[in-house]
Amino acid sequence: MLTQLILNAFISASIYILIAVSFTIIFRVVRFFHFTHAVIFTAGAYFVFFLRMELSFPFLIAVPTAIFASALLGCLIELTIYRSLRAKSTPPLVMLLVSLGIYIVLQNIISIAFGDDTKIIRSNLITEGFNLFGARITFIQGLTICTTIILLLLLVLFLKITRTGKAIRAVSSDPELAAISGIESSRIIIWAFAIGSAICGLAGILLSFDVGMTPTMGLTALMMGLVVAIIGGLANVSGIVLGGLLLGLAQQLGIWKFGAEWQDAIAFGILLGFLIVKPQGILGKNTKKATI
Amino acid sequence: MSEELLIIQGLEKNFDGIRALADFSCSLSQGQILGLIGPNGAGKTTLLNIISGFTTPERGNITFKGMSIVRMSPHKIARAGIARTFQDLRLIRQLSVLENVLLSFENQPGEHLANLFFRWKQSKKQEAAIRNEALILLAEAGLAEKANDQAENLSYGQQKLLSLVCCLAAKGDLVLLDEPVAGIAPEMIDNILGIIRDLPQKKKSVILIEHNLDVVMQICDRIIFMDAGTKICEGTPGEVRNDAKVIEAYTG
Ligand SMILES: Nc1ncnc2c1ncn2[C@@H]1O[C@H](COP(=O)(O)OP(=O)(O)O)[C@@H](O)[C@H]1O
Ligand SMILES: [Mg+2]
Repeated sequence: MLTQLILNAFISASIYILIAVSFTIIFRVVRFFHFTHAVIFTAGAYFVFFLRMELSFPFLIAVPTAIFASALLGCLIELTIYRSLRAKSTPPLVMLLVSLGIYIVLQNIISIAFGDDTKIIRSNLITEGFNLFGARITFIQGLTICTTIILLLLLVLFLKITRTGKAIRAVSSDPELAAISGIESSRIIIWAFAIGSAICGLAGILLSFDVGMTPTMGLTALMMGLVVAIIGGLANVSGIVLGGLLLGLAQQLGIWKFGAEWQDAIAFGILLGFLIVKPQGILGKNTKKATI
Repeated sequence: MSEELLIIQGLEKNFDGIRALADFSCSLSQGQILGLIGPNGAGKTTLLNIISGFTTPERGNITFKGMSIVRMSPHKIARAGIARTFQDLRLIRQLSVLENVLLSFENQPGEHLANLFFRWKQSKKQEAAIRNEALILLAEAGLAEKANDQAENLSYGQQKLLSLVCCLAAKGDLVLLDEPVAGIAPEMIDNILGIIRDLPQKKKSVILIEHNLDVVMQICDRIIFMDAGTKICEGTPGEVRNDAKVIEAYTG
């Protein structure tokens, strides 16, 4: 029982962490609430559904294409809408409203194209399961956990050692200082959208393999991802990972003790607790306040 | 007569009705250190912000090496060869000391092209060369042992020194320094002033904002005293020291 609970916590934590990390990468360079991120999550899943179930592409083509399409969608939103608004120094609150608008439009398009019912991608790969330390795990759940771990390692490495990664960190921490070092922030912002949207799309794909997809799946997912991102102080990957594990465990414990309907209450309870006691995040130092 | 490196003509800038700069003009030749003095709110920082592209003036023009830069974006101005520090201390705190310096090196024009056209091995060689150069700069500033520390773990004075080193790492011809020694312990001040004094030999010109008159008199070739967004007087340290308005402002 306990092993199963911990395993389930890892599975949901993986998805939360992917959303939180991808949201944070974008948020830190654009400095407004990119609400549309929620629909990138949904779009990733529906891209695969479309490619696999309607065009019958093999998974090995459908999934990478869908990830690429998610990245492209994120970049297009930045290039066609955000960029020109940023040039006019639009305030963050207005940017949030614009982003919310784009979210609604795109969600409706998905709704019209595919319907509101839950879509499932059928495959033996997905339903096949095996036993791990006496707990049951499906292939896709194992894949979700492994993918998350590998992606996080790659991401940390990318941010640490590559020139672009360091430039992303520079723009995240001080855009003006980055500019005087000759870093073109608009180029870095595109990178952040590409990477963030690809990871978010992939998270949507992984979740949809496990539990299916609906046009509103991204909204709930982003809310949970946000709770984790804020617990992580909207900063480093390690804080977000801790936050994700904490939320995953707390929710699974809650489901076990009180029932599944308590999941959201637990998440926002934890969020409130952090905002009151440690607003700078789980690993944050007391000097800096997390702002959103 | 040396060629003018920077020519500023008739700058005007207002913030919500507050006049920060009014018809401000000046120029700077190659290898000169120009001091900017004046009371708080005189418009000194605003002038640097305009030169480096962070603020757009309502009127006026700036020519740098014969090219108008007045509406260029900050990163382009930086790549054109103008480096600066900020009055408030600014570093990328999560990066190491060395990485902070490398950031300025790596994002200079040419570096990207080299990456595209040269083979990987040559790019590695170049990377090592850049690293070496950065380490030399750090050593000259006395920060060599700190190279791998996180920037945020340095003392305040060391951090200010580091921001100066970063500024020098960008291979600019013009360096804009906004109060580089404010709030720093005396022994560190000499260290920083020594570095600034040597900049003309490295073919870098300097605009230096500084409150301490002695410091400015010591190292500047020319000084501009400004107040309320206008130039009150300009001249050599000797001339400015004996100007009635300056004497009044600094003793009255
Ligand atoms: N971003 C800004 N917004 C509004 N007012 C500003 C801004 N920057 C500077 N000012 C005003 O412009 C004037 C000149 O400021 P500044 O250039 O910082 O002076 P100095 O550096 O000489 O002390 C001051 O009155 C200041 O309040
Ligand atoms: Mg100032």
